[in-house]
Amino acid sequence: VDGHVAVHPHRKYEVYKHHEQRKVCISRPKYREGRKAKAVKVYTINLESRYLMVQGVPAIGVMTELIQLCALYGVVEEYRPLDEYPAEDFTEVYLVKFQKLTSARAAKRHIDEKSFYGGVLHVCYVPEYETVEDTRLKLQDRRRYIMRAAQNKANEEPTTSNTAEKIISRHDQMPNNDDTGETSNISHYSSFPLLPLPPQEHYYHGYKNQYGTIPTEDKMGTLHNATICTKQQPVQSLSFSQTSSERERGTEHRLTPNQAPAVRFVPRTTHLENRKRKMEEAAEHSLTVSGKNEPLIGPKLPEPPKLDMDDESLNTTVSLIRNAMKQVEAVPDVKPVEKKMKPRRRI
Amino acid sequence: MWRKGSSEGSDRFEYLQTLVTEFQDTDSEEAKEQVLANLANFAYDPKNMEYLRTLQVTDLFLDMLTEENENFVEFGMGGLCNLSMDPECKDIILQSGGISLVTNCLSSRREETVLSAITTLMNLTTPSSRSEITDPAILQCMLRFSLSESPRLRNLATVFLQDCCSEEQVQIQSEAEKCWSVGQRGPAGQFTWKIREETIFPIKC
Repeated sequence: VDGHVAVHPHRKYEVYKHHEQRKVCISRPKYREGRKAKAVKVYTINLESRYLMVQGVPAIGVMTELIQLCALYGVVEEYRPLDEYPAEDFTEVYLVKFQKLTSARAAKRHIDEKSFYGGVLHVCYVPEYETVEDTRLKLQDRRRYIMRAAQNKANEEPTTSNTAEKIISRHDQMPNNDDTGETSNISHYSSFPLLPLPPQEHYYHGYKNQYGTIPTEDKMGTLHNATICTKQQPVQSLSFSQTSSERERGTEHRLTPNQAPAVRFVPRTTHLENRKRKMEEAAEHSLTVSGKNEPLIGPKLPEPPKLDMDDESLNTTVSLIRNAMKQVEAVPDVKPVEKKMKPRRRI
Repeated sequence: MWRKGSSEGSDRFEYLQTLVTEFQDTDSEEAKEQVLANLANFAYDPKNMEYLRTLQVTDLFLDMLTEENENFVEFGMGGLCNLSMDPECKDIILQSGGISLVTNCLSSRREETVLSAITTLMNLTTPSSRSEITDPAILQCMLRFSLSESPRLRNLATVFLQDCCSEEQVQIQSEAEKCWSVGQRGPAGQFTWKIREETIFPIKC
């Protein structure tokens, strides 16, 4: 593509300084220590890119697996092995181009230094693969995002001289940056992925509707329940609206009583209670409908296969023994079975 | 690092204040570098812009540009690159005479510093600052960068020339460049660039 590259093939895969993994800094005082040991390095938009280079991929034909891993963090537009790039023995280097910078950022954060099929991956941005247009758009996006953040703040916050007040309201009025594609810059420092929310039970929706607009304690006297309350946000006062970025940072929620957390945590006991109730209802239902006294437990186990021993007398023996065993099993617990099965299903 | 304290804005402000204080009080170069890098990275997050402005970190970064320690210059320039995206910070940098300080960084031998400087200059471009930022000396510099062997430098300089300058400006400058590159760097009395061709800036005129 590039004339220069064609003329100097040996320079095609130049190893730039920013590809290297810098030594982590070990001399930080306690208060400046982060979660992860990190090198002393300044990130700017110039260093970031939607192009990532993944080094240390074991050379055992796991390209598909690698790309699948990357695709967890966003759309991968292109990828290819960088065969000429200097690699350690038995490893390969890949170039991965994401559709969005935020995806690349998330992928880098999560994949870097992770073990992968026995190797440890090193992921870095490779802005040198950008085209002029890529670079231009990257800068424009960034400027637009910062501009919007500043405007949102200015709109919602009439200038006050009280610093403390300013600080707090400001914090709460972070722009909702879902659509800007810039969400994850805040999470530079967060080190683990968001887990998907637990599956919601129907029973719970009722609960949510009932209490949805009241961001207060639940019956158990706690603020922790696991419904997403995005729908109720407009109802609350603006100054306390949670933002997606805050949600993303997870641990940073401030759970003050007059504020609804965006993601609520449901204590396990509540879950169990609900499930138990449902189960009991179901059991009652099945009892009345089927008319039989055995509780409905689920799909029936397949009957033991009928053995054919190729001999009349042997077959008779088998069926005799089976019948005898059934009787022995059945006698002592005709009733206890019912009662014992219920608690088991709760688990 | 964020999570050390609560997410209260005031805590954040206090934390940043502690950093600034440590930077000012410590005698250790190493600690200064670390704190500077911290502050520069904090400047990436728009949430911190206001606090950093209040703490006059903009000026702190600008001060670093004239330091001898190249790490100080690189980190300070990186911080300005991050801060200058914000309209209010941009105004502060412009008022503090930032353009010439940043322009001087274009002759750094560290690519990261040069890249930060170019992006910062683009961020600082306003209708009133445009003439200063598209000064012939800067254009000349950008034209050379646009021919650099480093793709990042080449791309960024190209964006600068295409987005911040008029076509005529570039035209005139490249004509002039052809003449100058034969003999010396620039006409007498003009800003002289300490460009080190042997490292990253080949002249291909």
